[in-house]
Amino acid sequence: MSDPVIALVMLGILVMVIMIGFPVAFTLMALGVGFGYYAYYQAGTAFFDNRVFYLLTQNTFTVLNNDALVSIPLFLLMGYMVERSNILDKLFFSLQVALKRVPGSLAVATLATCALFATATGIVGAVVTLMGLLAFPQMLKAGYDTRLASGVICAGGCLGILIPPSIMLIVYGAQAGLSVVKLYAAALGPGFLLAGMYIGYVVLLAMFKPHRAPPLPKEEGDFSFGKVVLMLLKSFFPLALLILSVLGAIMFGLATPTEAASVGALGSIVLAAGYRSLTWAGLKESVYLTARTSAMVCWLFVGSATFASIFSYLGGEAIIKETVLGMQLNTITFLLMSQLIIFLLGWPLEWTEIIIIFVPIFLPLLSHFNVDPLMFGVLVALNLQTAFLSPPMAMSAYYLKGVAPKHVLLTQIFSGCMPFLYVVIICMIVVYVFPGVALWLPDAIYGR
Amino acid sequence: MIRLIHGIDQISKTVGHAFAWCIMIVTLGTCYEVFVRYVLDNPTSWAFDMSYLMYGAVFYMAGAYTLSRGGHVRADMFYRLLRPSTQAKLELVLYFLFFFPGILALVYAGWDYGYESTRIGEVSVNSPAGIPIWPLKMMIPFGAALLVMQGVAEVLRCILCIRTGDWPTRLHDVEELEKQILERAARDAAREEAMQGASK
Repeated sequence: MSDPVIALVMLGILVMVIMIGFPVAFTLMALGVGFGYYAYYQAGTAFFDNRVFYLLTQNTFTVLNNDALVSIPLFLLMGYMVERSNILDKLFFSLQVALKRVPGSLAVATLATCALFATATGIVGAVVTLMGLLAFPQMLKAGYDTRLASGVICAGGCLGILIPPSIMLIVYGAQAGLSVVKLYAAALGPGFLLAGMYIGYVVLLAMFKPHRAPPLPKEEGDFSFGKVVLMLLKSFFPLALLILSVLGAIMFGLATPTEAASVGALGSIVLAAGYRSLTWAGLKESVYLTARTSAMVCWLFVGSATFASIFSYLGGEAIIKETVLGMQLNTITFLLMSQLIIFLLGWPLEWTEIIIIFVPIFLPLLSHFNVDPLMFGVLVALNLQTAFLSPPMAMSAYYLKGVAPKHVLLTQIFSGCMPFLYVVIICMIVVYVFPGVALWLPDAIYGR
Repeated sequence: MIRLIHGIDQISKTVGHAFAWCIMIVTLGTCYEVFVRYVLDNPTSWAFDMSYLMYGAVFYMAGAYTLSRGGHVRADMFYRLLRPSTQAKLELVLYFLFFFPGILALVYAGWDYGYESTRIGEVSVNSPAGIPIWPLKMMIPFGAALLVMQGVAEVLRCILCIRTGDWPTRLHDVEELEKQILERAARDAAREEAMQGASK
């Protein structure tokens, strides 16, 4: 067997072991060491003198002192603190009152709450379960279609991994060698576009099919204008200000992502204190969960660093490039193919594995097809929204099912997610056809 | 055997929890840097090195703790459909094929790497402050050794599961919010069902 074929065998074993369900980080490392030992094997050298050992530690250390990844645990801490700050019910209530006159107001308020809260926390499961307890029963009580109500919560909950400051974009930036700052600027437009399209869909539906999203009775929740503003000031603005100051500081180059994330983390602790929900137990929980989730993400980097360098040393990267170039694709068919593969990978895998292991396989091909890596990152981030929404493995749907009343069926939740899945696909097409949605802001701030 | 497993879990947890607090050091240290740099125009020389040293410590040393909590990402689409004893048999084999080789190599190679750096007392070249980076390199073999130990605990878990047909318990610890909520919802539903059953 030639070396490139062995590289493909290595990739094949990886996919197989992942599918069996073994923790991915260690599988990557073991395969990297095993195949690396073969790749660097020289007859006559002692067993432990193989160069793979040096490569392994060197690669591990590059992840350990990678300053682009420092903001990951900081944003996680911020998210866990916001999650525990008791802000959600106030936020949802004030938005619901403020949006009272909009058709489908409950669903619109749910989407807006999800978008803001998910952006601050960046954690899908918590948003979906919390909103499943808070907004879902209210929508059902108001006579909303079960499917619509489920779709709104599942789709809204996923926005946090797209809208900056999202951890997914930091991870993509680290793998693609892009500045997180530019990626954040590029994802902002599409993030708001998608949230806006979700809201637009719900409003249109409420206008033309009012039986699926009936208006609330008039007398309910009538507050004076001043009262509404006061409620928004107490719930919406502090959180929005926290996010905007973190993002603004990063995008206008006032602070590095690490610095902005630190200020955001401290800000979230202050926010929790402001809502009188800062407890020692809550802080401890957040700190420990931060360590666990960071370990989950960053150990994947440790494993994939060695795996990827051995894979490309054996010629695996080159043979994939050759094969794809031999397929006579143009930019559009290449994009369709790559996004379809990522979409399908989203069924069994989570975004962390997809971005750290599989997306790098496409990255060396981008320049050949004249695809801007920023654009590709935005499309991948949009695409991975679908990983949470598409049956049969949509995590959001299972989270919602877990907290929903018993009569709500999983199939209803899935069919409720479908329209939002189509909206994501339309959004991807819009972003591709009008690249300015993504690229205008980074171009305007940083130039070409 | 279960006491040995829980003992190892406890060690991983204690170390993970201890290093987790480094994230507060990054938060407070970097906020201090932001204050002195942007407000007082007098930046520190240590903040940058501190941030990645502490970040590295957080995630690296929490590796074993995360493993003990079953927190490392895996695709369990098919895995979760299997019976516990089948899961355990499969996992037992996979631990020896795809866990120990890589981690043991990291312990061995990391020791040379960390020892060399510690011997010369290596410091960071990023600033004249001379922030030591040998502790970060020395962590490589220690964090990996901790993972080996936790791996042994996981293997023992598999053996226990094959014998009894069910997975042994894990230590109680903090959980993700969604997990807490889902568990509470499941408990409530079960209680409601029991009450309905009683009233019938």
